[in-house]
Amino acid sequence: MERNQLHLRLLPTNFKKIGYGILVLSVLFVFLFKLNLLKVDQEIVWVISKIGILISLLILAITRNKIEDELTFRIRVQAIGRSFIFGVLYVIFNLLLKLQFSEHFVLDDSAVGILLLMFIFYFITFHSILYNR
Amino acid sequence: MINTIKIQRAIKDLTQEALADKIGVSRQTINSIENNRYIPSTVLALKLSKVFGISVNEIFELDDED
Repeated sequence: MERNQLHLRLLPTNFKKIGYGILVLSVLFVFLFKLNLLKVDQEIVWVISKIGILISLLILAITRNKIEDELTFRIRVQAIGRSFIFGVLYVIFNLLLKLQFSEHFVLDDSAVGILLLMFIFYFITFHSILYNR
Repeated sequence: MINTIKIQRAIKDLTQEALADKIGVSRQTINSIENNRYIPSTVLALKLSKVFGISVNEIFELDDED
């Protein structure tokens, strides 16, 4: 019966270990660089560690809990929705804070671009699921 | 929506953990349902009904707000 219900396609629970592993390695990479144990360009370290952290957080966010039931599903959907709203509000308030303290009225275009893409993806996904129920 | 899960659990001498195991959810989910913080799906309501051996109507009842 549950096959007919809407659900999130999540990774198996074991992926949590992979997610935490990548997270630890990414942070460790920065520490080793700070301790001068790595002879690599600083820019490369930052890019690799930031991508590592993003990938690890994505894996952790989309991995099933040990017990994944309908309440977990509901909480997960709520958390995703709130994060999305928080992202938009953060970009707007960040602009206002910049204006308040540094007089630079500059909007973070990359953040706006990502949020616009997320909105477009949201509307496409929402309407395609809504009309194909 | 009000429910009698806590009473039914006591009758069957089941802990929240044991009931959760029987219907494949977490203990926190049972706790949320018992305290009316979460209204379960029909599937879950029927699973509860099966465990307690009574009808869904005997476990869940609409209240004035519904």
